[in-house]
Amino acid sequence: MELIVVGLSHRTAPVEVRELLAIAPGDIEAFLQRLLQAPAVAEVALVSTCNRVEVYAASPDARQGLVSIREVLRGHNAEVDSHLYDRSGREALHHLFRVTASLDSLVLGEPQILGQVKEAFEAALRARTAGRVLGFAFPRAFRTARKVRRDTGIALHPVSVSAVAVDVAREVWSGFEGRRVLLVGAGKMADLAARALRADGATVAVTNRTAARAEELAARLGCAVEPFDDLAGALGRADIVITSTGARQPLFGRPLMESVQRARRRRPLVFIDIAVPRDVDPAVDGIEGIYRWDIDDLQEQVAKNVEGRRHEADRGESLVESELARCLAAMRGRGVAPTITALRTRYHSVARAEAERTIAALSGLDERDKRAVQAMAEAIANKLLHPPQVALKKSEDPEALLEAAQALFDLPAVEAVDTDDADDADEDDEKKVSGR
Amino acid sequence: MEALTPVYLVAYAAAVALYLAYHAGLREAIGRAGRGALIVAFLVQGIDIGLRCAQLQHPATSTAEAMSFLAWLIAGAYLAASLRYRLHAAGAFAVPAALVLLVLARVVPARDAAPVVGTLGMVHIFLSMLGAALFALAAAVEVLYLVQERRLKRHQLNRAAGGGAPLDTLDRLAARCVSVGFPVFTLAIVTGAIWVARLGLLQRGALGRPEHLLAVASWIAFGALLLARVGAGWQGRRAAWLTVGGFTGVLLVLLGYFLRATA
Repeated sequence: MELIVVGLSHRTAPVEVRELLAIAPGDIEAFLQRLLQAPAVAEVALVSTCNRVEVYAASPDARQGLVSIREVLRGHNAEVDSHLYDRSGREALHHLFRVTASLDSLVLGEPQILGQVKEAFEAALRARTAGRVLGFAFPRAFRTARKVRRDTGIALHPVSVSAVAVDVAREVWSGFEGRRVLLVGAGKMADLAARALRADGATVAVTNRTAARAEELAARLGCAVEPFDDLAGALGRADIVITSTGARQPLFGRPLMESVQRARRRRPLVFIDIAVPRDVDPAVDGIEGIYRWDIDDLQEQVAKNVEGRRHEADRGESLVESELARCLAAMRGRGVAPTITALRTRYHSVARAEAERTIAALSGLDERDKRAVQAMAEAIANKLLHPPQVALKKSEDPEALLEAAQALFDLPAVEAVDTDDADDADEDDEKKVSGR
Repeated sequence: MEALTPVYLVAYAAAVALYLAYHAGLREAIGRAGRGALIVAFLVQGIDIGLRCAQLQHPATSTAEAMSFLAWLIAGAYLAASLRYRLHAAGAFAVPAALVLLVLARVVPARDAAPVVGTLGMVHIFLSMLGAALFALAAAVEVLYLVQERRLKRHQLNRAAGGGAPLDTLDRLAARCVSVGFPVFTLAIVTGAIWVARLGLLQRGALGRPEHLLAVASWIAFGALLLARVGAGWQGRRAAWLTVGGFTGVLLVLLGYFLRATA
């Protein structure tokens, strides 16, 4: 049984193609069942986001499985075929790990993908299309993703203008409880930044040259309105100003801001100016306590952060590699465990039986002698067991060895069973699988 | 006890190197290593001070001992603050100051024979060093404030993992250090004046000695800073510069004593 994946993503398909494969949330279960009917598909899960559609499956015959899934996807829409990629075995698992850890995302390190892959796995569990292979691979992908997030700086520094604006304010204040944000004019980025600040405890007020626009915006954001004709007063009450008006001339010149800062006793004032042309005269930089960031400053920081993420992604890749190696080793262990158990049972039962026969045949043995005979038999069994046991556990490709062991020692061909990995005991995701 | 000196000198030097490296590269692990080295240095020097006290060579016996004690207090104050705040970057300012004091105290041979200081002298020296340590921490934090503030003005963000302490935290911490350090330093000046009077040095112009005038000037600077913070809402850059200036004064006072002792 092998893990396989067929899909397309922002790397292989433009949005016109990706949307052809979009599957509505309500139709996912039916789609999973349809995939499960296809030849050589034993388990299946569907990851569907705006940037990728991928079918993960377990197949007893990888080549046939890939063909079957391609066929189903082509049936959905024939145009997608040339954009599909597929992987199997180690490569499929590697791909799943990279996708879940957001190393394959359009925005490196974006946090949504982990949740989306989790949803895909849960949908497969609900539809009862996930089994042992997916139940093994997905939880490990989640764990790897969390590890990459925690141990690298891939998600540390924000890569959107609004989030960087919030970071600027965070350099000045330890928290936004009781801080006041003034929105001058309206815009999507200003909106997003204001919402983020409010979520952290700041209060928001809006002002606009046209009172009606201000009222409208205030109603939408659920916040207070400051009168536009008393801009100085509003500035006196604010800690963070986000401005994005369409004014041709700077609204906030140096003389105005000098008197404002005097009145505010030079308390810090963060000025986020995302208007073009700019609303804040750069000359205010010379005034104590004013921190003015315009759209270029913010975008430059975004570019730096993107570069930083790319750098951290390299560390993420090597983390994924090592987790993948661990996972493959665990998989091998899972595969050989039943055969080792059978082998041990066989040897020890023979040893016990022969010891009993010997004891019965000899007369005049006291308890100590009997125990010595039994111990000798067990010791011989253990000594003989050691080399094959080690060989099976350490083998890179245990399939052939397993078959040989089963033939040589006349063992029943056993299916892989779940063994308890001690290090996974705390994983909720796995409990979900085993509790199913 | 002499055997311990190189141990903590090396540990302090390692802490300085690590904190400076942290300041340059902002790798969290390096900052933590710096703190580890500083903890070792602090503990070993603590044992050393204890042993010296047992041999009646306590911090008040010579300027060198007092300076080494001050270095220890600065390290302790910084460590205590860094447990609560993200202050690895301030380590690059506070710990080198401690190391310089320590090297001066331990390497330059001091020639002042242990004077009989009495209880009053000991109280004066202990309070002076405690006040100076708190001012030193305030100054280190304020230097970090000035560095970070200038970066923000130049449209650069702190690249430390998880960010450094924000400006308001640094400002508050420095203000707290000064507001505790000031009464301690006030008592130090009062006890010092009484001590000098008792020794009968006033008549010999002890009040006019430059280090004494400078000590009073520093005291006035910190007092003015406290008043300005409360009364005029001073904060940020102005408060930072005044704190750094005040601490420089205190440091010069100490160096004055030291030069006199080694002259």
